[in-house]
Amino acid sequence: MASAHHPGPGPHGAHAPPSGAAAASDVLDIYPAGAADSHGHHGHVIIPGTTLVLVLAALLFFTLLTVGASQAEMLMSQAFGIVIPGWVNVLVALSIAAVKTALVVLFFMGLKYDDPINSMVFLFTLGTVAFFMGFIMTDVGNRSTIDRFKGQYIVEGGTGGIKWYNGQDIQGPITEWARTQAANTHAAGGHGGAEVTGHGSTAGHGPHARDGGPERSSPEMSRPVRGVTLPGLKPAEPATDGAHSPDAPGTPGHQHDVPPAPPTAPPTGSMPPGHNTPPAGARPPAGGH
Amino acid sequence: MTTIDAHGNVLSPGAGDTRPYHERYVAAPHFRDREHEFSAVKFGVWLFLSTEVLLFSGMFVGYATLRYLHPEAFRGGAHHLDTHWGLINTIVLLISSYTIASAVRAAQLGRNGALQTYLMITNICALAFILIKFVFEYSHKWHEGLLPGKYYSYPNPSNPSEPLWWGIYWGATGIHATHVAVGIVLITWLWFRARKQHFGPTHYNAVEGVALYWHIVDIVWIFLFPLLYLIH
Repeated sequence: MASAHHPGPGPHGAHAPPSGAAAASDVLDIYPAGAADSHGHHGHVIIPGTTLVLVLAALLFFTLLTVGASQAEMLMSQAFGIVIPGWVNVLVALSIAAVKTALVVLFFMGLKYDDPINSMVFLFTLGTVAFFMGFIMTDVGNRSTIDRFKGQYIVEGGTGGIKWYNGQDIQGPITEWARTQAANTHAAGGHGGAEVTGHGSTAGHGPHARDGGPERSSPEMSRPVRGVTLPGLKPAEPATDGAHSPDAPGTPGHQHDVPPAPPTAPPTGSMPPGHNTPPAGARPPAGGH
Repeated sequence: MTTIDAHGNVLSPGAGDTRPYHERYVAAPHFRDREHEFSAVKFGVWLFLSTEVLLFSGMFVGYATLRYLHPEAFRGGAHHLDTHWGLINTIVLLISSYTIASAVRAAQLGRNGALQTYLMITNICALAFILIKFVFEYSHKWHEGLLPGKYYSYPNPSNPSEPLWWGIYWGATGIHATHVAVGIVLITWLWFRARKQHFGPTHYNAVEGVALYWHIVDIVWIFLFPLLYLIH
């Protein structure tokens, strides 16, 4: 099935000189007489015995070298205080492993003397592995990278200090701003600021609409934000007003269109980013919709 | 009674034909000749080996990701590994690679006795690898509770993420040891066939195929050894 032609010498060509201590019964070249098939392919390459021994010696040498390199790195850091970055150790170890692999593949597996199609299969596989490893490590390695462009918007507790389109300047975490807005709107007698779903209330279109203006997107957002309710935005008041209690989402007239939000925002105080456990008093919104 | 293999080759000499199997062997009819079949067999084995490489690459990428995310857990966990046993296992496998390459060479030269001897030595090396792994490495860790994930019960972890390291260790070395065990079965099969003179200079496909598989198993260990044992 192999389709590539060997451009090399014929069956009796001196492809590789024999190694010194060949026994009398050893063939003098690595292609036994008549071993070529009808397409001229030499499948039965006999690798000289001395080559095999030399490759084994090289492999053992590189094994001891790799152990020695790691010991040397430890020694240098402990005895001389020279600290070598960790990636150097990994790089050296992997390079030596790659050399050993090349020796095994080329000589023990005979890929050096073999039909090139097999080499192509092997190299393509290595390329696939490189692709696999490369993309995953690029992703994982850059997870904590913050672009300079977005970096200016990262503030503990959310976007802060950014002018909204309607000119209102918000200082500090937006959650605090939203909370005060909700409290103000509720105190003023309207619906609680958390129920911004467009249910007939004046402030029904989204976070920007709390002050009555139209909802707009701004350059700071990638798309309009609609009706996102964080559980902690309900004003902290005694639950006498049953219709507004977060425990009774099924109460008539209380049809929230709210998507289930992750239980990250606490009812009181702002928590440092990354602190995902709500305190004992907070309840995640019922996701029964 | 005459027994025949899948190609129609007579396994036990039929009437009058007393030549050994490897001389009587006829390639499957869809091949031009034995050389063509040999090339096809080798190509097929290389394709299989590429799937093996990709299998182990999954473990290696998992190793890289988890080591990147939990470097201290990996460093701490690797302290439980004995570099000496890892080094001995590496040397044992390299020698076994040499002996199986020599076995192929013996088959190519028609030296059946040497073929059997080399296959036997390869098997002994493989069994030594398994023995060292299970008796000197695995049993100790098993009893101390250095197990992956939720099975971890060692009382003094170096790092909260150490079970992740043990998952990689047991997973990678376990899959590798399974491959070594399968290799032992295959080499034993070859040895029994060699005793029946199935292999010779013009027919040794199975020896070549198993040898290629064995070299990949060795190559995987060549990478596993520094990555698991030589982290400091």
